[in-house]
Amino acid sequence: MMRNMKTLVAALLVLALSACANVAKMDKGDQALGERLMVTLDGPWNQVNAPGLGPAQTWTMEGLPVDQLRIYSGIKDGEAIFTGGAGQNAKRIDFRSTMQADDIVGMFESMLTRDGSTFKLDKLEPWSFAGEKGFRFEFTFTRKIDGVVNSGVGYGTVSKGELFALLYAAPRLGFFPRHKDKVEQMARSARLKA
Amino acid sequence: MKRRRFLAAGCLCGLGAPLLARAQAQEGAAEWHMPERFARPESSSDEGGLWSLMDREEARLRRSPFTIRDTELHARVHGMVCNLAGSHCPDVRTYLMHTPYFNASMAPNGMMQVWSGLMLRVDNEAQLAAVLGHEVGHYLARHSLEQLRTAKSHAAAATVFAMFGAVGAIGQVGVLANFSGYSRDHEREADRIGLTLMRGAGYDPAQASRIWENLLLESKANPAANRPSPLFASHPAPEERMEVLEKLAQANPGGVTKESEWSQAVKPFLHEWLADEVKRGQREESLALLGRKIASSPAAGEYLYARAETYRLRGNEGDLDAALADYLAAAGNAGPAESHRGLGTVYRARKQMPEAKASYQRYLELAPAAPDAAMIKSYLEEIGT
Repeated sequence: MMRNMKTLVAALLVLALSACANVAKMDKGDQALGERLMVTLDGPWNQVNAPGLGPAQTWTMEGLPVDQLRIYSGIKDGEAIFTGGAGQNAKRIDFRSTMQADDIVGMFESMLTRDGSTFKLDKLEPWSFAGEKGFRFEFTFTRKIDGVVNSGVGYGTVSKGELFALLYAAPRLGFFPRHKDKVEQMARSARLKA
Repeated sequence: MKRRRFLAAGCLCGLGAPLLARAQAQEGAAEWHMPERFARPESSSDEGGLWSLMDREEARLRRSPFTIRDTELHARVHGMVCNLAGSHCPDVRTYLMHTPYFNASMAPNGMMQVWSGLMLRVDNEAQLAAVLGHEVGHYLARHSLEQLRTAKSHAAAATVFAMFGAVGAIGQVGVLANFSGYSRDHEREADRIGLTLMRGAGYDPAQASRIWENLLLESKANPAANRPSPLFASHPAPEERMEVLEKLAQANPGGVTKESEWSQAVKPFLHEWLADEVKRGQREESLALLGRKIASSPAAGEYLYARAETYRLRGNEGDLDAALADYLAAAGNAGPAESHRGLGTVYRARKQMPEAKASYQRYLELAPAAPDAAMIKSYLEEIGT
């Protein structure tokens, strides 16, 4: 009985997602990400467009939920990077332009652990991102839903009060080592329009 | 089956005295007797199917990275469950789960889950025993099977499963995560059995109603508290529950709380569990919890630091002042090294650069290998210029 129900739910979910989500190919070369951020890709990525992904662009190499690159481009002071839940469990995570690097990392941590997943900061260091004074961080992230241990890396800066950041996470074994250099190359290529 | 009966006989001999106490009638309740141990049901039966599902969930828990594998804490909590479960002890397995919500559950196959959010919130062993006893009560009264048989639809059956399983499916639950599918009558019965069990195990039954008092404090602190909580929707009203539990406790007073023992047992985990609590992002609930803990806790430094972080992250008017006061108090009360980082952050935001510099330097002295050390050094360089 339960198996039949699970199959039914899975089928409905696939139908629902196929109706709402679409995937676009992001080609090698220069790509504009929002109004001010530009990156140069050394190979193609998949961009996933679906409801509920928030203000970030969501890219993947292997397909969701295996690996995920979130791109935050021009997030303004007071803008939410996550909203979810309802009633007493409602949660909203806002960006503030006064946030320091460790606060921004904490903001991403809150977003990733909203379902009880765990996040461990492995390293946070100053880094020049998009030609601005910024930061780079590495983390370990264990997903509550399936217990898969992910490695992650993030880059960010605040320019003219707006947040620009990349956040990549993939399973620690296999997928993260396979793609981390592509992400690092993309981060190094980032630049901002004035 | 022979082996089980033998084990049961052994347990009954060893725990005979408490069991006699457990069998005593309570005010307002019919006399309750500990049932005999349950045999594994036929796999073709509905109950057998439920057990199989729970067995699969349990296999997942054994491998889960969210299972707390500290042998000392596990031995303590499992010992409590065993003591409460009496002759059923050999059938019970306990899993401590790293999940920052208030919850425990016991599946019909004997799998008990205890979440870190519950262990953080209870003030003593007696309060934990009250919750565990309640869950053992559901198990002994076989409420889940009754619920399953009452279930008329697939969705209802799924609810029964969700009562014990689906470790990952907690995304939208709050501090009161015990989203039980049991009926109100089942909850009342489990309360009565739980209280009998905790008294029989030597705990002060008056602590049972305190849990509800504390949870209500957190729940009412939430600005959305006027909306019905999922827990209170399926449970008797907490006020009614507190009253009944108090009356039952008064009818059979005495027992121990083991407050200092519990404080010592959870001390090594407080920093991590409090960080989880702050990350939940329910600032008002956290402030209610932390205020209560600070008022009575011997490990105030960790609680003060967590409250300081909560104030700073909430960022309402006056919160930076409150955060500063708590960071200072934490730093002076054996709080974590991060208390000094927090001080640095607040002073920097207030442009008090000499104080910010001293605080960041102190943080690096105490935690030279901190993952954010390089970033803090860059802040110091900025301040220095």
